[in-house]
Amino acid sequence: MSRKLLETDGPDWVQQGVITEAQRAQLLALYPIDAAAIGLLPLLGSLLVGLSALSVVAANWQGLPELVRLGLLLGSLVAAYAGGEYFRRRGNGSLGMGLIALGLILFGASIVLTSQLYQLIGYDLTGLLAWAVAGMGLTWLYRSSLLFLLTAVISGIVQGYNTGQLGAFSYLTAIGTAIGLGYYWWRRPDALLGGVLAGGLLWQAGLLINHLHVKITWFFIPAMLVYALGDWQDDRPAGRALQGPPLAAAFLFTLGLALFGESDFYANQLRAPLVPYLVALAAVLAASLVGKQRRGRLGSATDWLLLLPGFYFTGGLPLAIATLVVLYAYSGSVLVRAHQEQNPDRVTLGTVLFVLTTAVAYFKLTWGFLDKSLFFLLGGLLLLGLSWWLRRRAAHTLAAAASSAPQP
Amino acid sequence: MSLPTPDSAAPAAPLATAAAALLPASHRHWLLWLVAAQVLFVLGVAVAGYATAALGRTVTLQTEPVDPRDLLYGDYLRLRYQISELPGSLWRGTEVPRRRQAAYVLLEPRPSGDFEATGIYPEAPATSGQQAVLRGSVQDVWRRGLRLRYGLERYYVPETMTRRMRQRRRLRVTISIAPWGQARITQVDTVRQ
Repeated sequence: MSRKLLETDGPDWVQQGVITEAQRAQLLALYPIDAAAIGLLPLLGSLLVGLSALSVVAANWQGLPELVRLGLLLGSLVAAYAGGEYFRRRGNGSLGMGLIALGLILFGASIVLTSQLYQLIGYDLTGLLAWAVAGMGLTWLYRSSLLFLLTAVISGIVQGYNTGQLGAFSYLTAIGTAIGLGYYWWRRPDALLGGVLAGGLLWQAGLLINHLHVKITWFFIPAMLVYALGDWQDDRPAGRALQGPPLAAAFLFTLGLALFGESDFYANQLRAPLVPYLVALAAVLAASLVGKQRRGRLGSATDWLLLLPGFYFTGGLPLAIATLVVLYAYSGSVLVRAHQEQNPDRVTLGTVLFVLTTAVAYFKLTWGFLDKSLFFLLGGLLLLGLSWWLRRRAAHTLAAAASSAPQP
Repeated sequence: MSLPTPDSAAPAAPLATAAAALLPASHRHWLLWLVAAQVLFVLGVAVAGYATAALGRTVTLQTEPVDPRDLLYGDYLRLRYQISELPGSLWRGTEVPRRRQAAYVLLEPRPSGDFEATGIYPEAPATSGQQAVLRGSVQDVWRRGLRLRYGLERYYVPETMTRRMRQRRRLRVTISIAPWGQARITQVDTVRQ
């Protein structure tokens, strides 16, 4: 609840007898005014002054002596951190954190610009790795979501630069991100940070697969490891958020397999060496199942349907159809669980997945046989009917939830 | 991974309020260390640059012709050296070279003053007299040759140079190689033709 809501609606609540005037005052005292909030005009003014200083420096950067350039970089770095600390102490938390984030960005800029100043480029991975490490240190120190987010992005950039420009994958960066940020998330579970962390780790896993030139299906070993970590997390919403990106990747992959798996050439691109791949996948599956069992969530094991390695079969059309069956089983299981949990968000998600699968199935199975206009007409009707039925079902569930909720 | 987290729930609330106000004193110490480490790191990069130029061996290399239009795309020139592509006969390893492998190129001065490659080694070779060793990595291998990368392929151009470059021409690049193997460009000149 925010102070603003209390201020505007509080008098009404007192009038309606929900709370007394004394209670309203007590509640207000719980949400103190953000001390010394900065006015908008001084902020804009200082922003403009800062921009003008920045443009003067940028325009004359090449002409400045080396030591002056170095001094400017280090000076603004220290000033950003000091300013951040100053404003935090004055109780202006968000401005302070913003300045500290700026300091972290300036650190990266200083590394890059100093290297350019001395023409040092090389195959040195440590320079930018230090940037990511500094981000992790600050995240732990301030316990700040903003810095966590920034560090996840920085690690992704560092890894992208390593693979793209230097032609090397920094395992240290990848493991550092997984441990440094992963352990932070583990101790302070949070849904948003879980999604960001999983996204960042999957990005690095994708870069690794691309760098190693191995079959893309290997991507799912690290991706499902991230998923399995979510199974072990006590905090259910945070765990689910961490599992979102791996599941989205697996779903899209399976959707692609249903669409193109018919061609054996495409399926062959996916066939990693059978035994090592299956052993690795089984190991991750076991870790995930044990986690689910410990936390009493074995019902979500249906997520693993998406990881069935059907692409090893040289099936042609039957493979595509079998993949569609798997997709239906998965989106159906999401719907069933959502109805059981009476969770409206999950119902919506399940509905979207179900409709998406139906669209692909329809496209796949009828495109060749039907006249185009009839194809679109029937497809449209099918989707409309399906969404009507699913929505009715969802409304039914939610009504049941609403009627059963007040009883206990 | 099976770590129990008994303290994750209980102290979280006081921590959140504490973090909003002030860092504990020990954390402020850590912050000072962290910022000092960042400043030292940037200074370290600068010192490495100075030291490489001051203590290193100076070697001049010729590039392939450089296109001045490169400068339109950014503030650096893409340099391709004559030693960027070398014949496979210079390879001195017992096994065939692989991509991404480290390679040490032995350089010797020619009468013109520019250095040329006389051998490519998988391990750093011993040098004598005028010879110098430049470390690189194998980028590509084909039947008759190797493509190598030294980390010296970009030159961040001072603005004065932009006006001098009018057409494609070869460049003479002066490089300092530090005793610990780091190398940097110290000077770039156009070659009179």
